[in-house]
Amino acid sequence: MSAPAAASNGAADARDPSGFLSEIIGAPVTVKLNSGVVYKGELQSVDGYMNIALEQTKEYVDGKMRRNYGDAFVRGNNG
Amino acid sequence: MASQLLPLELIDRCVGSRIWVIMKGDKGMHHAHMLEQTSIDLIAEFSGTLLGFDDFVNMVLEDVTEHDYSGAQTKLPKILLNGNNICMLIPGGMPDGDE
Repeated sequence: MSAPAAASNGAADARDPSGFLSEIIGAPVTVKLNSGVVYKGELQSVDGYMNIALEQTKEYVDGKMRRNYGDAFVRGNNG
Repeated sequence: MASQLLPLELIDRCVGSRIWVIMKGDKGMHHAHMLEQTSIDLIAEFSGTLLGFDDFVNMVLEDVTEHDYSGAQTKLPKILLNGNNICMLIPGGMPDGDE
């Protein structure tokens, strides 16, 4: 364990962010954006930009459910 | 200068320990003011056990308390925190009594 670059080379490490993401594929997740808007759904996939695909997505604004989406893509730059 | 500790080495030493994360100000107070009519709860700080991080300082945290600027606290068992809006990391977690 010296530099973080060395740590991220071991791709299967479930403790680092990419390992954690691959571990939770298929699980129900909560995604909170910078804006405070929350998306809850089943995590279908994640890529290197942290773009996220969700299934059976519910959108919550200020704690209240606003919309339902079957499939949703969340662009990674939204935090 | 063999004894110099680089910033990311400091964070690497924190893996497995409590850490306190303060988000960028413009994603907190100022933004909260602009959006106060919608009263979206904006995230200010997190405190949790650091499980790992990557080159972007995205972090995996466990046993997390999320503190927003309204003073509300939310407990989260395990999270991935995007590194984009991180301002400061404090090894050792929050001072006792604040969590």
